[in-house]
Amino acid sequence: MIWIYLLILTALSAAAFLGGRELARRRAVGAHPHSRPGQHGAYALIWVAAPALLVLILLSVFAAPLERQLTAAGTPDVVAELEHFRRDAFFADAHRVGRGEPALQIWERPLAEQLPVEARRMVRIERTLQWGGGAAAILAAILGGLFALTQIKPQTRARNRVEGWIYGALFICSAIAVLTTLGIIASLAFDSFRFFQKVPIFDFLFGAQWSPQIAIRADQVGSTGAFGAVPLFVGTMLIMSIAMCVAAPIGLLSAIYLSEYASRTTRAVIKPLLEILAGVPTVVYGFFAALTVGPILRVFFNEIGLFLMGGPLDGLGQYLALVQNQMALTAGAVMGIMLIPFVSSLSDDILNAVPQSLRDGSFAMGATKSETVKRVLLPAALPGIAGALLLAVSRAIGETMIVTMAAGLAANLTFNPLDTVTTVTVQIVTLLTGDQEFNSAKTLSAFGLGLTLFMVTLVLNIIAHRIVQTYREQYD
Amino acid sequence: MKFRIFRSAEDQTGAGAADPTESVRMGGQVLPEATSSKAASAVEARLEDATPVSGPTVVATPPTGPIKIAARDVSVFYDGKQALYDVSLDIPDKTVTALIGPSGCGKSTFLRTMNRMNDTIAGCKVTGRIAMDDEDINDRSIDPVLLRARVGMVFQRPNPFPKSIYENVAYGPKIHGLVSAKSEMDGVVESALKRAGLWEEVADRLQSSAMGLSGGQQQRLVIARAIAVNPEVILMDEPCSALDPIATARIEELIDELRERFCIVIVTHSMAQAARVSQRTAFFHMGRLVETGDTEDIFQNPRERRTLDYITGRFG
Repeated sequence: MIWIYLLILTALSAAAFLGGRELARRRAVGAHPHSRPGQHGAYALIWVAAPALLVLILLSVFAAPLERQLTAAGTPDVVAELEHFRRDAFFADAHRVGRGEPALQIWERPLAEQLPVEARRMVRIERTLQWGGGAAAILAAILGGLFALTQIKPQTRARNRVEGWIYGALFICSAIAVLTTLGIIASLAFDSFRFFQKVPIFDFLFGAQWSPQIAIRADQVGSTGAFGAVPLFVGTMLIMSIAMCVAAPIGLLSAIYLSEYASRTTRAVIKPLLEILAGVPTVVYGFFAALTVGPILRVFFNEIGLFLMGGPLDGLGQYLALVQNQMALTAGAVMGIMLIPFVSSLSDDILNAVPQSLRDGSFAMGATKSETVKRVLLPAALPGIAGALLLAVSRAIGETMIVTMAAGLAANLTFNPLDTVTTVTVQIVTLLTGDQEFNSAKTLSAFGLGLTLFMVTLVLNIIAHRIVQTYREQYD
Repeated sequence: MKFRIFRSAEDQTGAGAADPTESVRMGGQVLPEATSSKAASAVEARLEDATPVSGPTVVATPPTGPIKIAARDVSVFYDGKQALYDVSLDIPDKTVTALIGPSGCGKSTFLRTMNRMNDTIAGCKVTGRIAMDDEDINDRSIDPVLLRARVGMVFQRPNPFPKSIYENVAYGPKIHGLVSAKSEMDGVVESALKRAGLWEEVADRLQSSAMGLSGGQQQRLVIARAIAVNPEVILMDEPCSALDPIATARIEELIDELRERFCIVIVTHSMAQAARVSQRTAFFHMGRLVETGDTEDIFQNPRERRTLDYITGRFG
């Protein structure tokens, strides 16, 4: 239905543009018009389209709640007295019957008689709303168009007004992104606040035990829940450190190769390949970690363990022989591989931003390529590279899929890379997937974790961007 | 009739000012239109029956004194496109040789062949023979890295490394392992800075960043960096084009002092600068060497029509 209105509105807008332009041309005869006819036409178009679009947007936002209100207001007592969720189901069925589809449930006597009545009423309400809304939109378009027509005068500054509208439209588009972020922060903060009412913030940030299960029934076996997030933080840091140990040297060195050593043709092949690698979905890396790297590492350590067992290092052998697929090392190593293209691409850009004159100066002094890289380029690019690495750290902390698939779920407080650990992101996933009760501390703790994660990555990103920024300015 | 654009005793005393063909000086620059048309036409008349307007023949007067670098039939190609055509030029030792010519004439390209900086550009090919002390620098046995320790270079824009002043000067001696002790390095840095005329200004802040120096100071620091490894030749690619007249004057004085120890080749856009600092001049046009000789001769008696046109400001 809404498409018909959009079509009508498009036609009206086009008419407004053409008409406005023609009118402006006629009225401009003999005068010194401020704006060109096309700008008057655009101004008329805006005044037709903008009010109508506003009405349509309001309609799409408020039509559904309004419809519900109206339906509920006129309903007979039999329906009104129903339980909340049954009433909703009844209205849903009435809606279906109204559209000519069979009802999903079989309703008992008084309700079954009411069903077709209510269905007809709902269809009526729906139609009224649709027609009314459409008529309102067209009315708004016509009123706006009439206003615009009165404005077509030689002295009207149509050009500046159109520019103003464009400015406004662009501003709104960019504001949407910012406002969404603010909305996310607000919702996180609100639910975290509810969580911190149940669990003291100090216990959350510094507690050493994480076990979010809460007994639902009094007789249930289970803990009352422990919400000390330190094991999660340690697990996150452990995996992040392993990932950076892999990604930082390999990424940096490949960036040096790409920007300083590779020939133009090699670079033309490798750089796009690396960028494709950066676009591989992390769930694929997760696969790779869980099904390939994990088993290989387990077999490797188990073999060493079997070899050591019975010898002087029997204890260590016993431990290694029992290492599992899921360990911090697997997740960290694969996450490091995932971050290599990210680090190398950023570092490559930064090395390329170092002016050629510095390289020339160093070569002209008789320095070799590696001496130039070591003594001139890296020191010059160091702040930028530090920024790039911080961005990688912030990605590693926020990475979810690989750790979910490869790191395990046990919240062990350990620095041993061969143990299973769990991270903040993994816990958020497990806490919020499946059927959840949104008032328990268990579910709410996900918001506490989310807020912490958000704050940490936000701060890291701000610092990293600041560093990269000042570094870029240095050579502009 | 002479082109009076040299620094001479007459200029200092003002005796030459009475000459109506005296060129106007302003901030050390010679204004092109200042050269009298009467004088120009006299030379033109002589030129017209002397040499053809263009042609492959190079007018060259050989330098006196020992030759440091001898280039023979040097051509340079960028991705197959020829930028320099069969240049043969002798560069004498302990002399300043200026390479002049309009933009894109190949003078910087030629300069960069002398320390094989063109090797660092992908797709660049150099043919011909360049001999330094009778040794072909393009020979396989010559390591370009070691060659560049013998042939220093100063670039158009000052390019100090983003390190301290001290580290900048110590860079060359350090990578070539010329000194071992810290005290020895201090001595090398101090003498290089003194020879570059920068010591007085930076002696008390050797450890502060070189990026904080002014453009002229940075350029002198870069010269100090180049002479710290005791090169035999110093190549300068428009070393003053990014500097103001006062900093330019200081660099020119410095070049004049360095001439006693080094063979200097300078590319410049300013004909007045070429006239002030050089003893030999080579004029390039469209990738070819047109005329070379003693600077005084080139500026006073150009034998090629294109040289005359360029130094009188008809083009370029």
